[in-house]
Formats: sequence, C-alpha cells, structure tokens
Amino acid sequence: MRRTRAAWSATALTVVAGLVLAGCSQQSNTGAPDTGQPAVGFPETAPNPEQPGRPGGVFRLGSTEPTAIDPYNAQESEGIRVAEAIFTGLVEVQPDGAVTPGVASDWSANDNCSVWTFNLKPGTTFHNGETVDAASFKRGWERAAAKGSGSEVSYHLDVIQGYAEMQSGAATQLTGVDASNPDRLVVTLTKPDCEFELRTNHPVYSPVPTAVGATTDTAYTDAPIGNGPFRMDGKWQHNQGIRLVRFDDYTAGDKAFLDAVEITILPDANGAQLEYDGFNNGQFDWARMPPPLLAQARAANEPAGKWMSKKTNGINYFTVANTTAPLNSPEARKAISLAIDRNAIAQGVFQGAQSPATALVPPLFPEAYQDGVCEACRYDPAEAKRLAEQAGLTPGTELSLQFNTGGGHEEWTAAVRQQLETNLGLKVNYTGVPFTDLLNNEGAPGATGLFRSAWGADYPTPGNYLIPLLATSSIGAAPNEPVTGNNYGRYSNPQFDDLVARANASKDEAERNDLWKQAERIAIGQDLALIPLWARQQFRLVATDRFNNINMNFNENPTLEKISIK
Amino acid sequence: MGMFILRRSGQAVLVVMGATLLVFIATFALGDPFASTGDRQVPPEIAAANRAQFGLDQPLPIQYVTYLGNLFTGDLGVDFDQRRPVIDMLAETVPNTVRLALVAILIDVIIGVVAGIIAAVKRYSFADVLVTVLSTLAIGVPVFVIGIVLVANLSGVGPFPTVPRSFTVEVPWYQEVLLPAFALAIIDAAFIARLMRGSMLEVLRSDYIRTARAKGLSERKVIGKHALRNSLIPVVTYIGVSLGVLLGGAIITETIFQYNGVGFLLFRAISGNNAPVISAVVVFGVLAYVLLSLLVDILYAFLDPRIRLN
Repeated sequence: MRRTRAAWSATALTVVAGLVLAGCSQQSNTGAPDTGQPAVGFPETAPNPEQPGRPGGVFRLGSTEPTAIDPYNAQESEGIRVAEAIFTGLVEVQPDGAVTPGVASDWSANDNCSVWTFNLKPGTTFHNGETVDAASFKRGWERAAAKGSGSEVSYHLDVIQGYAEMQSGAATQLTGVDASNPDRLVVTLTKPDCEFELRTNHPVYSPVPTAVGATTDTAYTDAPIGNGPFRMDGKWQHNQGIRLVRFDDYTAGDKAFLDAVEITILPDANGAQLEYDGFNNGQFDWARMPPPLLAQARAANEPAGKWMSKKTNGINYFTVANTTAPLNSPEARKAISLAIDRNAIAQGVFQGAQSPATALVPPLFPEAYQDGVCEACRYDPAEAKRLAEQAGLTPGTELSLQFNTGGGHEEWTAAVRQQLETNLGLKVNYTGVPFTDLLNNEGAPGATGLFRSAWGADYPTPGNYLIPLLATSSIGAAPNEPVTGNNYGRYSNPQFDDLVARANASKDEAERNDLWKQAERIAIGQDLALIPLWARQQFRLVATDRFNNINMNFNENPTLEKISIK
Repeated sequence: MGMFILRRSGQAVLVVMGATLLVFIATFALGDPFASTGDRQVPPEIAAANRAQFGLDQPLPIQYVTYLGNLFTGDLGVDFDQRRPVIDMLAETVPNTVRLALVAILIDVIIGVVAGIIAAVKRYSFADVLVTVLSTLAIGVPVFVIGIVLVANLSGVGPFPTVPRSFTVEVPWYQEVLLPAFALAIIDAAFIARLMRGSMLEVLRSDYIRTARAKGLSERKVIGKHALRNSLIPVVTYIGVSLGVLLGGAIITETIFQYNGVGFLLFRAISGNNAPVISAVVVFGVLAYVLLSLLVDILYAFLDPRIRLN
C-alpha cells in the first residue's frame, strides 16, 4: 500500500522530460542488445560495512509531507521513517532481512502457530519515563483497531482474534491479546500464521504510553511519545520539517549515535529534484534523484562511494484478467510476456534505472528468490507467436491495456503496446485513466486484458507477495462482484492455495521457503497468473564522507539508529 | 455607504455558496478519497468506516447543506489525509501568503507607478521606449520561467536564502519573501506601468490640468498633486484585484519557491484529493477577493468625488 504511487508521481514530470530520447533509443535497441553492456540496469552496490561509532552528528534529509507519523496511521515510506525512529515494536528487521529482538527478548508460537507468546525485555521505557509493558502494546493495537479510529492501516491487525468485533463497534477490546502479565504478551490469532512475528514489524503494532491521545488529538499525533531510539524534538512542523533527537535512556536495543535527525519537508511535485539539489549544496546527507539525472548523478558520485543502489521490496507487473478472454489461458499470458522486450524498455525508456524482473518474489528474500522462475519473462518473439497461435491470440485480436495517468507510466506502457502490436499483430486498446478508476476497472466483474500494477510487501516475507496477489481468498468476491482483495486478476488454483496455506502453517523456515518457492513455480512459472516486469530498485546519494553505517532498510529509509558520524 | 456594504456582503455570501457548490461537485467527481492508499485498495470495511466518519456516506445535497451549516458557524472541518483541523492549516499558511502578497504589491506599485509616470511625462523619450519594451517583455514571460530563473541564479546569493535548505536553518521572513515576491511583482509591475502611463497621458490632456498650469503651478505640483490622484484610479482597481488574486494563493510561485502559503496548500490539497482543504482555500480566496473589491469601490469614492456609491 505504501509509497509506490507517490514515488512514481513525484518523478512523472522528470521521466516525461527524458522521453524524446527514449523513443529513439528504444527502437534501436529492440531485439539485439548491441550496447556491449553485460547486464541491463544499474548494478546494486555493496552494503556499507558496520563500523564502531561514536555519539554525535546531525543527519539531514529531505522528505515529502507524511500522512501520519503516529503509528496508528503511518503508511507511506516517509511516515514510517519517523514512526520507526520514535517507536520500537516487538521485533526489528535488519536491512539483510534478519529478524532481531526489539522490545521482545524472544518469542514462540504453539504447534499450529495460532497462539503467540512474546517475552518482553524488562525495564524499557517510553520517552516520558513510563515503562513499556504488555499493556502498552494492547493499548496501541486497540487504539488503531477501534471503530472510528480512522486508521487506514489497521487491517494489518486483522489476524488477531477480536479485531472484527472492534471494527464493527461490538467490542472495545481485542479479546485475542492477553496482557495480564506485564512481561509477557500472548496473542491469539483467528487462523494459523507462522510468520506473525514479521507482521509485528509494521508500525501499527507499536506500543503507546498511557499518556497517548485520541487519534484525532493533534497534540499527540503531531508529537507522539514513543519508545524508539529517537524522540520528537518539538512538534511536527507541518510542511516545514520534523526534528528528532537521540533518546538517551533507550534500552530496547543499541542506543543511537546521532545527536539529531533533521527531516526537511519538500513539495511532492519536485521533491526528488530538491533532494538532489540539497545534496549537492550540502544541505542533505541522503537524497533521491529525478530519474533523468540518475546516470549523471551516478557518474559523479559512485567513485566517491556516495552512490547507493539496491533492489528493494517491490515489483512492477501487469495484472492479467485470468478468467476472461483473451488471456484466460497460460499460453496466451506467456505469449504476451514473451513478446515484451523488457531489456529494450529498461535501456530505452528508463535509461538503465529499472531492472527486468524474472520472478515475482524479489531478490530481497535470498532464501526464496528464484531467478528465472518466470521463464516467459525473457524476450522471444518467435515462441510468443507460436504460443499466441495455440491460444487463439490471432493477429487482429483486441487486447485492453490500462494504466494510471499522472504516474509517469505513459511512455513504457506505450512501448509495450507497440511491441505487442508488432510482435503479435494484436490490436491493443490502450487507455490511461485516473488511479482510482484503474482499481475499479481491474476489479470489476468481466474485466479483461492487462492493467499496470505495482506491489510492495508490508512484512518482509515472500508470503506477502504470493498470498495477497494470487490466493483465491484475496479475490474476496464472487465472479459477478467487484474484487475486494488485491488479487485483481482473479487467479485461482487450489494447488497454489494449498501450498501457501501449508507455508503459512509451517514452523520450519527452510520448509516454509521451499513451499513459497513451489507455490511461485506454479503461479508464475506454470500459470503466469500475472506478468512480472521490473524489479523495484532504489537509488540514493549518501554522505559517506561524513557518516558511517548508512544503509537502506526494508522501508527504503536510512538506518538512522545505526548511522554514526566519522 | 452602510447600505452599499451590506449589499456587497450579501453578494459575498452568495458567491461563497456558489463557489463551495462548484468545489463540492468537482471533488465529488474526483472519486472516493478513502478507496486506496498508494497503490493498494483499502479494505472495503475500513474505507466505509472512514467515509462514514467524514459524512461521505450521506447523499451529496445533505453533505453540502451540512458543510454550509458548519462553514457559517466557523467550522471548516478536518482534512481527509492527516485528520487535522483545516483552520489550523489556514492559520499556518495565510500569514505567509498575506506577507508575500503585500510585499509583491509594494514592489509592483513602486516600480510600476514610477516607471509609468516617467514614461508619460517624458513621452517618446528613451526612458519611455525602454519602459514600453521592458514591460512588454515582462508581460510576455510566464511567471514559472521567472521563478525558476530566479531560484537557479539567485538563491543562496547575498540576502536570498538557499533553496532547498534544511528547515532548521532560520531565515527571517523578509529574506524568504523577497525572491518569490519579486517573481510575482515583475509581471504586475509591467501592467501597472502601462496602465499608469496611459491614464496619466489622458489626464495630462484634460482641462483642469491646463487650468492648473495656467494658474502658474509648478510642473511638480501639477503632476504630483493634480494629475497623479486622478490617473491612479485604474491603477487602484488593478492593484485591488491583483491583491485579491494573490491572497487566494499564488500556486505556481509558492510551489517553485517552496513557500508555505495557501497557494502551495491548495496545490497539495488538489493533488491529494483533499476536499475539505480545497473548499477552505477556495472560500478564503473568494472572501479575500470580495473584500478587496469592496475596498477598491470605497477607495474610488475617495479618489474621485464624482463617484457615488449608492
């Protein structure tokens, strides 16, 4: 749910600016990669090694105005950036995906993973000195789950028993959360989930103190009192900035090194350009760049070690209407996928700033990543033609291709359209619509064809790709009703459903990863229920000349709690 | 006079109702603001709960009547995105916009009026031609070009603050306002110079100026006292209207300079489909405009005794 659209729109204008060139190079690149470059896209950079730090330093960065920094509604990368700095949840997720203790010292589940017990570290406190205990978590969760809280992210709590009753207003407590022992939090789920601890990494699972305000009380929501390694220094100055300072009594983990973090709020429309300008004029220590300037910024900064490139949590893909003609057979979907020259578009339109995807689950999960599981993600027009004929995708067949306007998607979708028309002779009905209309159209009963889509997981697990996008339960509607989940393509395969259900109920991590892999082989390798296009990749400029230990975390934010001044 | 003000206030109420109705219909057509966050659909129950909380589950006419009722009791509501009182957002941005508008108008008037007088009095001189050429040029260049050129070349130089800069770098308001005000003022100043020149030339041809000269008044007195006052009438109209427009928010300029005024607020509200904020800024803009044109009408009577308000 977070950030993908905002990020695209922010860069829309600048992408469009670079397009005249793209039109030409895209054609010259079609077919044979004649550039002599070994791989398409900018390679990932190695993580900055962890070094001993010393207290001090002020880390400055630009941001767009968040929706909320209060965990009850923190949702996009920028809001989560502040929420995760001022709150510490039960567990922490490291940039390499490792799960480490947060406020919880250890945790365990019963045999079928439906009851979870978290033992809390004793004596950790909120910024106002109050002790963090089991009741603090229950309070925070109930505050977000309550009817009328206005939270748009409370559904991440929906696996907890009693959530539905709170949402409907029938109850005021989460019956599934037992906080009677202050040092132990016992959570009962409505269905088994052997990865529940990963879910609790989302900010909506943060503890709150008794001094918490209502979700409508700006005195609290603009200056939340949390238990994280940083605390608010004054209020959130809307559209100006947010200042955080180190919390010196932090005991839930290692104390932060930085004295302060200064987040300057910039306009959405040209935020990336301003961050880049601010990095160049010495105002910021971490910055995004407008896409057309990526190559130039990389050339100028990579030699000095100030360039960061990382494949992150996300995938750009086409949702495919699986149940309606003409793409209601795996052959038809594979024909489409094989007819798309991802390399040419990556070079031509994106100038190397996107990497073609060969799987749905991204390389962020090394244990579950299967490079090439999407065999039809290569470019093979001859094979595409053969499969198209087999599937009845004859030349002249009409195919709908929809994307959302204002997000910078015009150019690459136009390139896809051209390739499908050239390689398969299809008649592509190419339509740009506002984003909410796109969601309505793809979810409507009888939707057909391809829809531009992107996804970033909320919890660091392959399951958060496979289940929401492809499980039958994520359709959430009968064939004659609009989709209510995120499986817009209405893909449904009992064998796949069974594998992901087993993965969810498997306590053994290796076995779980194996089941995720099997499931992806069926849904993507065999059925190609959706068409992966680009692996999400992020680029930053970072002031490694002034700071050590700067890395990018799961939410694409700097690891503020680790950064130290040189 | 009292009657006049009363009548105009009545009109203002109607204008506000009309404007909010249009905004309502327009934002309603934009679709459901709670259906999705980012690229993901919000679960229907949560979206429905949020709609209910903001009264969007009611039919449009009822929503509108409720909104008007709240508006006239001074309640602007809570915004859809951050759930903050909209009045707080206006309170943060309006003073900035007022400062920007006033400084811009001040620069306008000083440059425009002086240039216009010189051009009129020294008609066909080099100075006159220069004013004409420069003003044509200034009117022709779009404000975003001026803004971007100013940001690119002058920010960080001398008294002009760096853009962007860390928000903790304190800059006095008069330094911050200088460049955006100048960007806004250039075009208006050009218009005013041309208006001033035209109306001054007309006034200088009139009988009472000839009389004043015949009485032996110094040229300085003729121009400064007798001609100036009458030739200011069209300029005052223009300034009043221009100030009204500026108070409603200079969207492009404020955005380019990251200036936290109502124009920038409106820009963000529209991009975020945030109806309560859009309505509030529009209402504020309409009120500012109506109030300013009322003041202009009253000033007319002061400048030209022949005009009667009733």
